[in-house]
Amino acid sequence: MSDEPVIVFENVHKSYRKVKAVDGISFDVPPGICFGLLGRNGAGKSTIMRILYRKAERDRLPKSRVSVFGFDPEEDELAIKCRSGVVPQDDNLDDELNVRQNLLIFAQLYGMPRQRADARIAELLEFMELHEKADAAIRELSGGMKRRLVIVRALLNEPRLLILDEPTTGLDPQVRHTIWEKLRQLKRGGLTIMLTTHYMEEAFQLCDDVLIVESGKAVLRGNPKLLVERSIEPYVLELTDAKLAPQVLAKVDQGQARVEKSNESVRVYGGAYESLRSVADGLPPGDYHLRPSTLEDVFLKATGRRLDARQ
Amino acid sequence: MRDSNLPPTLGWRLFSVWYRHMRVYTRNLISNGLPPFLEPVIFLLGVGLGLGRYINQMEGVRYIVFLATALPITSAMFTSAYECTFGTFVRMEFQKSYDGLIAAPVTVQDIFVGEILWAGTKGLFFSACVVLVMSLFGAIPMPTGLFAVPVGFLTGAMFGALSLVVTSFVRNINHFNFYFTGLLSPMFFFSGTIFPLDSLPRALRPVAELLPLTHAVRLARGTAMFHLSWILLVDLAFLVVVTTVAATVAIRRLRGRIVV
Repeated sequence: MSDEPVIVFENVHKSYRKVKAVDGISFDVPPGICFGLLGRNGAGKSTIMRILYRKAERDRLPKSRVSVFGFDPEEDELAIKCRSGVVPQDDNLDDELNVRQNLLIFAQLYGMPRQRADARIAELLEFMELHEKADAAIRELSGGMKRRLVIVRALLNEPRLLILDEPTTGLDPQVRHTIWEKLRQLKRGGLTIMLTTHYMEEAFQLCDDVLIVESGKAVLRGNPKLLVERSIEPYVLELTDAKLAPQVLAKVDQGQARVEKSNESVRVYGGAYESLRSVADGLPPGDYHLRPSTLEDVFLKATGRRLDARQ
Repeated sequence: MRDSNLPPTLGWRLFSVWYRHMRVYTRNLISNGLPPFLEPVIFLLGVGLGLGRYINQMEGVRYIVFLATALPITSAMFTSAYECTFGTFVRMEFQKSYDGLIAAPVTVQDIFVGEILWAGTKGLFFSACVVLVMSLFGAIPMPTGLFAVPVGFLTGAMFGALSLVVTSFVRNINHFNFYFTGLLSPMFFFSGTIFPLDSLPRALRPVAELLPLTHAVRLARGTAMFHLSWILLVDLAFLVVVTTVAATVAIRRLRGRIVV
């Protein structure tokens, strides 16, 4: 396998009337990794995903370039689509058809001979633990089953790139962990994965590389473990009662710690566990939480805590 | 074995989209397959037995024959119009079917050309059902009445394409009522379907010539009666041109609804 990037985004813009959904984004995705796009609702994640398979068209600018497997989606969308599997945000399955029939329609679209389609469907339903549901109606499936079925559908043609737009949004922890396991297995098999998510835990668990986008612009990029190590103080003391703020802030050494305050809560970020520990001394247990920082803290630091108009 | 990295050919892609619609339609074979047989029977009983007693002849043929040579075509018109208005709208806005399909190796153009071919197929099926029923009642000359079946395909494709143009403008599903009551129902009456165009006021005749259904009905009736003339070629050309133009406009406009 060559080391040519599977996806190249170079200075990509996309405007909807006056709103810039994507505002000069550049990144590349090497083969075999899991690449995560993080951002709040309306940050431009889904638009970026859609541009990959021409569900959306980028603004035509001279210095802008998109390449997937070396193809420009606007010139050769079919070449990209037969090498990629897409899991869109909505589960758009055909309610009139059962599980197997839904998959057969797509096998047909991919031009798979019937025998190979049957074998592949059996194999993938087994892999996604849906084999008992092969002849079930779509409305009998739970949300998690539908999601797994859409993933099966995306994997039918043995893609080399899997595009997942919020694969686990709205699913319970068991299903979410199952899907993570499956995605890890697929990645070990050499599949390149690109996903969007709101769940920092998901990005942390799965992604080798993440890009945080905000208002269509790239804000921060890197390996999630390294981002947590390098882009944020290692510890945070969280207070969920703002009334305790004065008592705490008096004890904080401003040179050593960074304070984030909102109406209802206070967070004190610091480099040394012991000094935060001493700040917390004397607080009623249950009103504070001292913990290591996570990717969520990195994300909130990079994108801000306040809601914006698009959310 | 086929290389899975190679996109399927155009013909295969169109067939696959058509196949999707066919599978969904045939899932409810009884509720979907019975009306096209029942409707003409009801029509024959209602109009043929009742009205037919008062009207014996129209344009030199029995009135029932005059009607029976047009009904396969109006049936094709209504079924394809429903398919490509309410059907398309529900797939696009509620079921999001196209958002799923477009992730597979098909283009927006493939999706809607496939859909127009499916509308034509439904037109063909419905007109075949009507021809069958009419022939059992001896109301349509056979075997020339069978020409109505391919004309039914062309009619279905044409009204499929025209209805997609309408759908491309519609944001609220109730607005289709304007199309059905305002355009298709008048067309049913004023296209030489249930009375000859000659009976229209002179000033309205050129208008009737602009109605797509007029040409489809004349083509079906002319071939069924085996009254062949060059006019039928003009009618055929009309159907083909309207279908092509409408399909082009519809695809361009619907593209903007799917690819955002």
